Amino acid sequence: MKVRSKVLAIVALVGLVAGACGGSGDGVQSGEESGGLSATLDGVKDGGTLYVLTSAEGASTLDPQRVYTGAELGAWGSTFARTLTSYKPVAGKDGTSLVADMATDLGTASDDLTTWSFTLRDGITWEDGSEVTCADVAYGVSRTFGSEVTAFDGPQYAVSYLDIPAGDYDTDSAYPGPWLATEEEQALFDEAVSCDGKTITFNLKVPVADFNFTVSLLAFAPVPEAQDTADQYGLKPFSNGPFKVETYEEGKELVLVRNENWNAESDEVRAPKVDKIVWQFGLDETVIDERMLADSGDDKNAIVYGGILPVNLQTVFGDESLKDRRTDGFDGFVTYTMLNIKTVSCLEVRQAIWLALDREALRTAAGGPFTGEFAQSFVAPLLTTDYAPAKLLDGTKGDGTPNTKAAIAKMNEAKEKCPEVYAKATEDGLRFDHPDTDTWKKYMAIWIDTLGAAGIKINDNPIEQSKYYATINGDQGDLMSAGWAADWANASTVLPELFGKGGGFNYHNNEEDPAFAEFQTKAEEAKMETDRAAQAKLWKELNQYVIDQVWSIPGSASKAQNIVGSNVRGAYQWLPFGWYNLGDLGLAG
Amino acid sequence: MSDSANAPEPPVPSVGALSSEGLSPFRMGLARVKQNRAAKAAFWVVSFYVFVAVFAPVLVRILNIDPYALDREAINDFGLPAGQLGGISWDHPFGVEPGTGRDILGRLMYGARISLLVGAIGTLLTTVVGVTLGIVAGLRRGFVDALIGRLGDVTLAFPSLLLIIALANPMTQRLESWGVPAGNTARITYIMAVLTLFGWVYMARLVRGQVLSLREREFVEAARSFGAGTGHLVFKQLLPNLWPQIIVFVSLSLPGYVALEATLSFLGVGLLAPAASWGIMLGDSVRYYRAAPTYLFIPGVTLMVLVLAFNLLGDGLRDAFDPRSDRQQL
Repeated sequence: MKVRSKVLAIVALVGLVAGACGGSGDGVQSGEESGGLSATLDGVKDGGTLYVLTSAEGASTLDPQRVYTGAELGAWGSTFARTLTSYKPVAGKDGTSLVADMATDLGTASDDLTTWSFTLRDGITWEDGSEVTCADVAYGVSRTFGSEVTAFDGPQYAVSYLDIPAGDYDTDSAYPGPWLATEEEQALFDEAVSCDGKTITFNLKVPVADFNFTVSLLAFAPVPEAQDTADQYGLKPFSNGPFKVETYEEGKELVLVRNENWNAESDEVRAPKVDKIVWQFGLDETVIDERMLADSGDDKNAIVYGGILPVNLQTVFGDESLKDRRTDGFDGFVTYTMLNIKTVSCLEVRQAIWLALDREALRTAAGGPFTGEFAQSFVAPLLTTDYAPAKLLDGTKGDGTPNTKAAIAKMNEAKEKCPEVYAKATEDGLRFDHPDTDTWKKYMAIWIDTLGAAGIKINDNPIEQSKYYATINGDQGDLMSAGWAADWANASTVLPELFGKGGGFNYHNNEEDPAFAEFQTKAEEAKMETDRAAQAKLWKELNQYVIDQVWSIPGSASKAQNIVGSNVRGAYQWLPFGWYNLGDLGLAG
Repeated sequence: MSDSANAPEPPVPSVGALSSEGLSPFRMGLARVKQNRAAKAAFWVVSFYVFVAVFAPVLVRILNIDPYALDREAINDFGLPAGQLGGISWDHPFGVEPGTGRDILGRLMYGARISLLVGAIGTLLTTVVGVTLGIVAGLRRGFVDALIGRLGDVTLAFPSLLLIIALANPMTQRLESWGVPAGNTARITYIMAVLTLFGWVYMARLVRGQVLSLREREFVEAARSFGAGTGHLVFKQLLPNLWPQIIVFVSLSLPGYVALEATLSFLGVGLLAPAASWGIMLGDSVRYYRAAPTYLFIPGVTLMVLVLAFNLLGDGLRDAFDPRSDRQQL
């Protein structure tokens, strides 16, 4: 009860301070916070049960070939799904560097970058003690092709890179995955991915300079054919890491226990400490925050998946005694507003939209500076090598407030240059597609109000949240909300995906834009560049190029805040995944 | 309430010089309502809401508030209302909406327009459809009666709320393609259409039952024996005797529709930004109940008072117009 009354006192105090300042803020500010004591290993002991509290009804999936959520990639990778390479388990920028995991080194590429081979270490075992073989890795990769049986939900890099002819299956490949393949079709895959003893070789149809990053995705994790249950595999995957799945029940819990057959000597990456990790699903978000603030009993050994509710940020970050338990930092996502270049083909109109936009009001509606910083690039700041703040459109303001005057001037230019698009924007209105949520209702009020001040009409078009991306995949509005995070620490998984030809997330319809050809050429060039520093320079130039074209308007580089129980240690934010290194977390006391 | 419950006899002689025999059931009922203090108070509350809704554009100007204007000054850097009690101040008497700083009083007043519009037109349409079908069924009997009866059974068997939510987007688009102005007009049309589609049954059953008993009464027999046509029977003989039941039913179903509009908006089958609706406000405010409890409290109480007033008024009307109804035995 003592802790609880303390919490109430803080709320009251914050309220008073806010009142005294007359609404100009209250001194609680967002900055980089790395977790203090909780990020260190001070006083950590082996053993104990770690709890993960979440409002989610379950994991998106436990199937390594299908998981695509940043935090889950990190969580499953660090516990039960080892891959050929993985990220260095440390805080800070170093965490984005690659280390050899199941492979002996970071792979060997042929000179033309179309053949990559990796050799497996000795002594890597499955949870039943059997050895992880090259064939298991190849089999795992082949599962990515099985969209007919699973769903089209995991990363598709194997499909787009491996040298397998195009075909009529859902993935546009001639190979339908291991479950449906005929012998001839299987031969196509076996030619692209071949095993020679402990060495696996990938033959690619395009040169890929950073394929060793690609194989760090769990889509390239091994799966033993004998244990595979196709679309049911996500309920009970077979482990080759320090933890294994004991039980998994959606809406209830996921229990990970130590895998006795994990061979620590074969693993230089993972350092497990706790005996058991229990995910508790379907909790009320508000209740989670209350429990974390109260910090009593087992909740001292708990972490949260899903972050702190925006309304509680003031409480958490206003209390200095929580300094050692909280983190605040970028989560790798950049939010932005896509423009449909086919319907809004006029650069001046696009520039006017940007100038009239009130990024500050939108961010405040989302919850203020804690939700993110105004993006100056489509590449997230976490991709330190490729990130450089671009020079934004002339006339936009650094504090995110609109420049309506400049927007009106641009619209007047547009009236002369492209009367058709001008008429559409001012009379018929531009259709804005967005997920139908309470927060988006407020964003739309801001969009309609601020763009209206510059004479641009916006038509609200809410789309049911779970169907949002599927809907805009088929039918694009004039403006569309979106967010993206890199698949690995290279802008090759950002800029070509968002703006390039055949990009997995390119809904701009920008292929007929006069500026497109140059973008595509430069993007191909950058992808092939093997010198990482030179490649980074190309990405930075390319980012500036797309910003100048206003194909999309960058919103914010989003941030996430987390809180852990007072006993949790090793809880640093692992940059590639924007969450903790789950398998390495430990408990003190 | 016990006064009014036992009231049917005493008030009648007090109605001026006219004897009760010369009064139509409608006038007798009206006279009884006037005796019921709770119903009278409820009537004034409802009148106040209607007044505010009708004159909202004028009132917001007099009060110098704007339901659509964003007010960055009224919210802090977290997007929460600045100051205490959800940002209540002279500028914003009921506080501001978190995130945007829009005025809650202004949005409540504009939201009342939507709620009452949907409630009133929804009730009107269900009444017209229900009464028509009820009279037809009662008068014609036989096959027509059976058909309307089964149609009602089928309608009631639908899980209507689920259907309303699931069909919202496709049906709104269909309406737009039929020429209903896109946006909120189409959405409100949809909501009213489905309310009518699922709401007529109760009214139709009530009216049918009344007609079945009325058509055997002497005055109807008499009119018929003089060769009265169907039109005369319906409008001169039956309807005047149905009014009391219809009025009672309407006054009790109206608050249901007002609340249903809020429910639908709450569930996301509502209006497009930046329109104001009580349901949208309530849905949004749940997330802020800790940081800005007034934001949840004020729209909630506003809706509750209106629905309560309608219910009290409806009860009063029922007691007065339908003295034999079940309620009397309670």
